Amino acid sequence: MRIVVVGGGIAAAYLANRLKSEDPSLEVLILSEEPYAPYDRIHLCSLVNKSESLESISMPLDPTVRLELNQKITQIDPKRREVYSKNGLFRYDKLIIATGSLPVAPFDVSEIENAAIFRSAKDCYKIANAPLKSEFVMVGSGPIGLELLETLGNMPQVEKITLLVRGKHLYDKHLSIDAIALIGSKLREDGRLRISFEDEIVSYEQESGRITKLVTQKLEIEKPFLLFGIGIAPNIDPFRESLACEKGIVTNLFMQTSDENIYAVGECAEVEGFIAGHVKECTDEANIAVAHILGRDVKEFSRQITTDMLKTERFDLVDVRSPDFAAPYEKVLITSHADSRIDEYFTQGERLIRFVGINSNVDIGYVETVMREGSALDVNYLYQNRLVGERGRLICSCEHLYQKDLEDLVAENSIADFAEFGEYSHAGRVCGRCKKMVQDGIIAAQSLIDPTKPKLSKEEKAHQKEIEAIEAKVAKFNALHPQNGITSENFESALESLDIAKKELNSWVSMVTASMQLHPSFEDVVSKSLRVLNRVPIIWLELSDCSGNSEAFIKSTNPGLEELIFDYISLDYHELLMSSAGDASESALEAVMREQKGRFVLIVEGAVPLGMDGKYLRIGPKGETGLALLQKCAKDAALVIALGSCAYDGGVVAAAPNPTGAVGVAEALGRQDIINLPGCPTNPINIVGTLLSYLMFEELPKCDKFNRPLWAYEGRIHDNCERRGHYELGEFVKEWGDEGAAKGWCLFEMGCKGPYSNANCPTMKFNAGTSWPIQAGHGCMGCVEAGFFDKYANERKVEDEKDSD
Amino acid sequence: MKKIVIDPITRIEGHLRAEVEVDEYGVVQEAYVSGQLFRGIETILQNRDPRDAGLLAGRICGVCTNSHFRGAVSSVEDAYGLSIPKSAEIIRDLMSMALFIQDHVVHFYHLHLLDFVDVVYALGADPKATSKEAHKYVKHPFRNSHEHYEAVLEKLNNFVKSGRLGPFSNGYWGHSAYKLTSEQNLLLLSHYLEALKFQTNISKAIAIFGGKTPHPQSIVVGGVTSVADMLNPQRLNDFIFIIKEAKDFIDRAYLPDMRLLVKAYKDEIKAGVGRANGNFLCVGGYPFDETTNLFESGVVYGHDFKNIEEFDEYKISEEVERAWYEKGAVCYTDLNDDGTLKTAKSDDKYSWIKAPRYDGKTMECGPLARVLVSYSKGNRLIKSFVNEFLEACEIELLDLSSTVGRNAARAIETSYICEYVFKLVSNLIQNVKYYDTQTWGAYKFAELKANAKGRAFLEVPRGVLSHFVEVEGQKISNYSVIAPTTWNATPKNYDGVRGAYEEALVGVKLADAKQPLEVLRVLHSFDPCIACAVHIVDTKGRELSSYKIKI
Repeated sequence: MRIVVVGGGIAAAYLANRLKSEDPSLEVLILSEEPYAPYDRIHLCSLVNKSESLESISMPLDPTVRLELNQKITQIDPKRREVYSKNGLFRYDKLIIATGSLPVAPFDVSEIENAAIFRSAKDCYKIANAPLKSEFVMVGSGPIGLELLETLGNMPQVEKITLLVRGKHLYDKHLSIDAIALIGSKLREDGRLRISFEDEIVSYEQESGRITKLVTQKLEIEKPFLLFGIGIAPNIDPFRESLACEKGIVTNLFMQTSDENIYAVGECAEVEGFIAGHVKECTDEANIAVAHILGRDVKEFSRQITTDMLKTERFDLVDVRSPDFAAPYEKVLITSHADSRIDEYFTQGERLIRFVGINSNVDIGYVETVMREGSALDVNYLYQNRLVGERGRLICSCEHLYQKDLEDLVAENSIADFAEFGEYSHAGRVCGRCKKMVQDGIIAAQSLIDPTKPKLSKEEKAHQKEIEAIEAKVAKFNALHPQNGITSENFESALESLDIAKKELNSWVSMVTASMQLHPSFEDVVSKSLRVLNRVPIIWLELSDCSGNSEAFIKSTNPGLEELIFDYISLDYHELLMSSAGDASESALEAVMREQKGRFVLIVEGAVPLGMDGKYLRIGPKGETGLALLQKCAKDAALVIALGSCAYDGGVVAAAPNPTGAVGVAEALGRQDIINLPGCPTNPINIVGTLLSYLMFEELPKCDKFNRPLWAYEGRIHDNCERRGHYELGEFVKEWGDEGAAKGWCLFEMGCKGPYSNANCPTMKFNAGTSWPIQAGHGCMGCVEAGFFDKYANERKVEDEKDSD
Repeated sequence: MKKIVIDPITRIEGHLRAEVEVDEYGVVQEAYVSGQLFRGIETILQNRDPRDAGLLAGRICGVCTNSHFRGAVSSVEDAYGLSIPKSAEIIRDLMSMALFIQDHVVHFYHLHLLDFVDVVYALGADPKATSKEAHKYVKHPFRNSHEHYEAVLEKLNNFVKSGRLGPFSNGYWGHSAYKLTSEQNLLLLSHYLEALKFQTNISKAIAIFGGKTPHPQSIVVGGVTSVADMLNPQRLNDFIFIIKEAKDFIDRAYLPDMRLLVKAYKDEIKAGVGRANGNFLCVGGYPFDETTNLFESGVVYGHDFKNIEEFDEYKISEEVERAWYEKGAVCYTDLNDDGTLKTAKSDDKYSWIKAPRYDGKTMECGPLARVLVSYSKGNRLIKSFVNEFLEACEIELLDLSSTVGRNAARAIETSYICEYVFKLVSNLIQNVKYYDTQTWGAYKFAELKANAKGRAFLEVPRGVLSHFVEVEGQKISNYSVIAPTTWNATPKNYDGVRGAYEEALVGVKLADAKQPLEVLRVLHSFDPCIACAVHIVDTKGRELSSYKIKI
């Protein structure tokens, strides 16, 4: 599939990278009207004062993404699926428009030397090359204008700055008079700056491409350098003809425009009347569009709380806004002239809908939570927390990183620079506005690093933490099962009395950690927790079964059954192995259920026949039905494991025409929390491994949608098959015993169901790794999949089967 | 008369119930055994492609696993008149032989031993004396250092002390029918543990050619698929070494343990405790060459070993007078309100197991039948194995027809198979050596007969297994199985004649009605496999193949 992205900014680069990471086989093309590769516009200010080069702010881009520069789009033809630029034609399967927005200037400044809008790298170079001793005139006092002002403040070319404000407000018309006064006084601390409120340009004189004189309602300025940092509008002109547009390109909640093959994302898109203005909103939209194009699970777009920050040398401003923010509102103001601090809380009823803080230290995380949950505002709490707290000043509003957090991170992890810092926190990298502060903070915090402390990699750190967490869980497990009455001394003597070689135990531990995809450093934890397993009681029921799973279980190796029953599990009820029978076994069962209520693990083997009121199976002195016995045992079990295909979905017993009305355990019990370990029979590795993971971590393993543990049932057999290479080469067994069969070629043509089956058979194999059905030349029959006896258990290809029906 | 109900019978495959009526002396006067699970595998097999029968029928049992897989495929091959290559037949035999060895050892040690061995009494054993005891039954006992017994003892002690006996809890420990000394108990228990490892190891031999076990997956109509394993010398070598190790355990532990048991229970053996009616059925099989089979076929009536009749498959009939079927369909008449079997009237139905008869008679099959028939018919290979055992234990051939003797026959058979399985491997190697590597007899399925009938008779670990298949329009129209346990655990008919299980139970004396250890012992000696045993009869009520099915 060929996907064309139009745009040259953050959104375009993000989209291209995201597409590639989701599906590397996609062909992705970016069309940018700029002469430069996509760069981060957030840092344009740095180009003005030349603290950064264009290269240093350019966005990392997947190398397989094709990039066409200087392609100003003129038109698209949705029917032919073509995009036209001034000098090219590009075909697409899917088109994503991410052209962003343009500042709105009252007149065209592109041909004027000493006037600029603030949008592209070209504009920045224009500003940076302004003549010395210019008087800069900044039109617009919104966030963009104020940020640019900060940049200009550091430039030697600037002799004077005049800020033209159309109304009476700075930053935002919703700010209080106090806040505007505070911002104004802070700005004026730079002696070169004046602010002219309620003023705008009336006329200007122009001579050979230069403005020589500017006339405003209140001022006349000679030889100005004019800058527009005012409102922006979606950049959508080339698309107006072919797509439905309002202010922006109209999209549905999946960012799809009026043409199903065209998506719009970011500041150019209008989704249900809303136009994004924040990086976070743009990336949310991009993720939705990508998922929708690739047919993945996708949520509809919904607006989230946004957090902005304006950082200047003289003040910080944080602005947290709910998507519901709108007038009318009430406002709670907490101000301090002494600290130059103002907290403004905008409320509707008891709900907080916006917060603006100047030099504030309120916990942004708390504010966002209050806003998100719509909980009542506790003004007293806000008042008590108005002062700069232990965590110091807020540095990154996106990641809620405070001064102290940064210092701790640097000291704890011996972080040397911003690059390393990225492994621990995204601060400075989300919207990027605080990058400089983070960089400075890291440099300042270097003195806090203990030079004698060994420096651990991020992985090492993470493992250390996880191991600590697991050890805590093991300790918790011990605490939860005090009836074990086993002390660490007991364990040791029990282990010593085992005549199994320590080696054997270790090899099992390694195998389990490897097969559960745990890091090798977990081995120690696994082996420790093994010794506490003994006391967990197990009731094993055989219902409508063939005992195949019990037979497989007793063939477990490393540990063998001996080790299992003597040391790791307490197999209290298992009809195949238990010495007692009849009344005595019945009372043994009752004793376990009574004494170990809520603690025992119930393993069920076999299907549950529901036909004839369940009387196809009767068990016990009183002739209880299988279903009744199952319900009785499952009621107080800590965990129910459905073992084998029959317990999973009825298996062979439920194959057509299902004469006994058999179902799996989950269905019989009407429960969703049964762990399924299908297989015919299930590999004992998967039984033991699953038990172990439960006992160790005290929580269920991660499962797929059929409640099969991912660690055992995630991989597709075909993908991990030892014969896969022959499949790729087109080398197939064509009939039993042919040349290919002797050489171990692919069994797909002989009806192998590896491509339809998910399990770890290829890596684990059976009977202590001796073989598995594909190695034995037969092919897989899909025994881990639902209904396999009616779908897969044959020696023919699935498509041929369908044809013959 | 007092009725004793035992359900579940544990340490067997499947759901078996036994009800015995004992007189005031505790002697069993009447017995009813009943299969308590019905799955309807034959019904499920209908309307399927005959080539799929093996994989599905294999699921009849996860313990006999390979047996039904092979039985189903063989019956389909018989229906189509397909012959299979020599090497494929040997590979099937090798898997079967390995299953015999595995199955018999698991049966004796893990499913049966605790009927003879008192775990708690073993704790009082002296390790050194145990080591000495072992030497009475074999020159070089298996793992016989007294340090080893000390370790086992300590392990058991710790286990018992923990108060949580797991699978050993609620056993009839201390029962007067336990006759072994502490040392003998410890010796056998130590082999219980060794045998756990043994059965894991021997299973690898099946997996080498079967892909896995339980439920191997390498047999197809026309041959086997594991040709690459056959051509790999290391795989053959692995197989040989696994069997060699197995043979070591059989000769130095299993067989000596059986000698110990026979000596300890000689009174009971001589009294014929657990003896059935003396009718034995064996279909024989497992050829080594043109003239020699591992087992002979034949039929014995009333322990008359001199006049052995030839096996005639047309004398087999299946009846359901007292089983929960009628006219080829399920006819469940339920249990009594208290959960007991309905047995008051002579036509009350009481089991899911149907009633196969040979020439109208109930028969016993299994290792005992194979040993008796093969020996009596003068099979030259088995002779020395039987003679040696009988002489060492000072018993006669008839004595094997008893609870303990049934086990002895099983052990003799295991040691016999272990010896001759090497001959089979050698035959396979000869084939490969002379370039006979064919493992599949080619056929075009579409060109096979649309309608066909076939059957297969096989000796499998528990006895005679027969599969019958009928194909119409390339689909299975009828399927029927008579498994070994179907013969042995058969219910009565209207005539009230008992099957092997029931007959063997009558006359057994119980020391304590609340602890019916003696009943378990008799039943376990047959190695019951109930999932195998329960089969619906021909659902259309027609004559299947040429076998008389009375419904």
